[in-house]
Amino acid sequence: MGKLSDALAVLDKPAVLAAVQEGIEAGTDPLQLVEEARLGLEAVGREFDKGNYFLMELLRAAQIFKDAVALLTPKIKERYGSAASRGTVVIGTVAGDVHDLGKNIVRDLLQCNGFEVIDLGVDVPAARFVEAIRQHRPKVVGMSALLSAAVTQVGRTVEAIEEAGLRDQVRLIVGGGIVGEVKRNMLRVDHATTNANEGISVILDWFGREQA
Amino acid sequence: MKERLSCYERLELAWNLQEADRVPVAPVNCYIIPYLAGISIRDMFYDPDKLIAATIKAREMLGGGDNIDPNITTLNHLSMFGRAGWDQATLDWRIWDDFPPKGNLPSLFEKALIEDYDDVMERGFAPLLYSKNGAQAIFTRSIDEFLYYEFEYPKVYAAAWRRFVEEQEVPLLMGGRACHPLDMLQYYRGIANLTQDIFEQPEKVKAMCDWLVEYETTMAMRDAMIMGAGEVPGAEVIFFVNGGPPGMSPRIFDEFYWPTAKKMIDIFVTRGFKVHCHWDNDLTPHLETIKHMADGLPKGKLLLDLEKTDMKRAKEVLGDRICIFGNVPSAMLVYGTPEEVDAYCRKLIEECAPGGGFILSTECETPWDSRPENVRAIVQAAEKYGWY
Ligand code: B12
Repeated sequence: MGKLSDALAVLDKPAVLAAVQEGIEAGTDPLQLVEEARLGLEAVGREFDKGNYFLMELLRAAQIFKDAVALLTPKIKERYGSAASRGTVVIGTVAGDVHDLGKNIVRDLLQCNGFEVIDLGVDVPAARFVEAIRQHRPKVVGMSALLSAAVTQVGRTVEAIEEAGLRDQVRLIVGGGIVGEVKRNMLRVDHATTNANEGISVILDWFGREQA
Repeated sequence: MKERLSCYERLELAWNLQEADRVPVAPVNCYIIPYLAGISIRDMFYDPDKLIAATIKAREMLGGGDNIDPNITTLNHLSMFGRAGWDQATLDWRIWDDFPPKGNLPSLFEKALIEDYDDVMERGFAPLLYSKNGAQAIFTRSIDEFLYYEFEYPKVYAAAWRRFVEEQEVPLLMGGRACHPLDMLQYYRGIANLTQDIFEQPEKVKAMCDWLVEYETTMAMRDAMIMGAGEVPGAEVIFFVNGGPPGMSPRIFDEFYWPTAKKMIDIFVTRGFKVHCHWDNDLTPHLETIKHMADGLPKGKLLLDLEKTDMKRAKEVLGDRICIFGNVPSAMLVYGTPEEVDAYCRKLIEECAPGGGFILSTECETPWDSRPENVRAIVQAAEKYGWY
């Protein structure tokens, strides 16, 4: 790992931004700098999995990463036209539930991994998910659920997507604390997890496979 | 077998780290009460007599318990200004007639209202909360109504609960409630902003936390006095919620959470109150710090109510210092069976009850949509396995 990723791994924002600036001035490919920052983020993820970092550090790392990318975006546009996206993911917390901490972390991590994320916010009615699928044609729809009442709501959302005839166009993934405490078959989605990193790698997998 | 104690005596012994006749059992039943008794959230909030009748009915359906939650959040919700984070600004100000899916519960969510810590420390919360930006809906209410719910209604509410305690001989879970400053900042600044502030302007966050200590403690003690602290059993208890934002590292916990938490606890106890620390999230990594909670304080004044924390570990680290309370998972109450609840409680009692200092309860609170037979199973488990 280089200077940039090392600085991100220890959450040193000034050093990260300085390394990005240096890279830009030295004419380094901005996409390479993004990749280096992403390696730093991965290191943070590993420390998180080992229990050395906690949620707040994960949140902080994603924030720093986003600040670094903000510096790089104009350079990427200059060089490559528009910033290439890996694809589109729609995400939201289901109706009746306003918890968004976990959803936002997943959103940030997806963005860090080069996805375009349409964030529908919290308390999102089933119809709004359907509408967003029609409008944005995502490959993946992510739902977040923390209340026990939200489990039923995930079911309703899945039904609405089926009724709209859109179920075979999207993969569905759901996360949030409650998911770990109910039987998986209650959820009727393609994947359920209480771990953001796992969710991201499943989604990466889905996109990889479909491209192949 | 020892002589059967009153609910209050049983709880007192647990707070004092002594074995009672049996393990006290106290599920935190809140919105499940109006739900089961068939009254609306509106009635629960505005008609204390209906709430009390509903409470008696629901207690029968749920098998009782050694205390009762008087839902002080009602007063906080109806109040004019910032009250332990649960107020006009952070509450979805719709007092519903129906439960989900047709309606909802009063729901709390964060709003990034604070932009400038210095401004709050200089001018206080009122200008921030009592603004169009803070709480649109409050401008549809009349000033008369505001003043009534701020100053008169708490007395009406307290009188109703005093009657309940006298007639039912069941003590209150609390008389007042306070939030930790980091919790307040989570509501009023947003967790993403707060995280950034902790890393980028740590001294400001600490100063703001210090400023909030007096603000929060005073209001909680005022509520408890109105509820009859010193006269009405249980009203002397301050419910100190919520344990800060999820996912603090030990460094952040020790540096930002702990100093103000301990300061607030000391203030409450010094002024004659007891403190029920209702601390959510998995605090297992912080137990070595938390064990200093009772340092310098008389015995029997503190209780630690845990949510996702490892109870067995908590007993090992804190057992000889602080009474612990918890933690039947909320999802189990909704989706599990009475047999699962029974097994979970039995294990909790085996691990945490020996020597006293344990109260069997729910994780955070009983979800409104819990199966009543599951809640009953908690109370029955104390009767089955809890005799000392
Ligand atoms: C913080 C918190 C709040 C905050 C939320 C702040 C915010 N902006 O989100 C506030 C104070 C506002 C709040 C409000 C309420 N809360 Co709350 N809250 C919590 C608490 C303590 C932590 C939740 C959290 O943020 N965890 C950290 C995040 C990062 O974890 P996470 O969401 O699971 O996300 C991770 C994974 O699951 C995954 N993930 C999450 N989403 C997704 C999505 C996808 C696609 C993928 C791949 C992965 C993924 O990635 C994340 C990182 O690994 C929990 C208890 C607990 N310890 O879990 C209670 C809890 C969830 N709350 C609860 C309740 C009851 C409420 C209220 C109803 C209380 C009230 N009466 O007002 C209200 C909710 C109102 C509503 N209608 O929703 C209950 C729910 C009980 C139940 N079974 O129904 C809980 C479980 C507490 C309890 N034990 O009783 N709460």
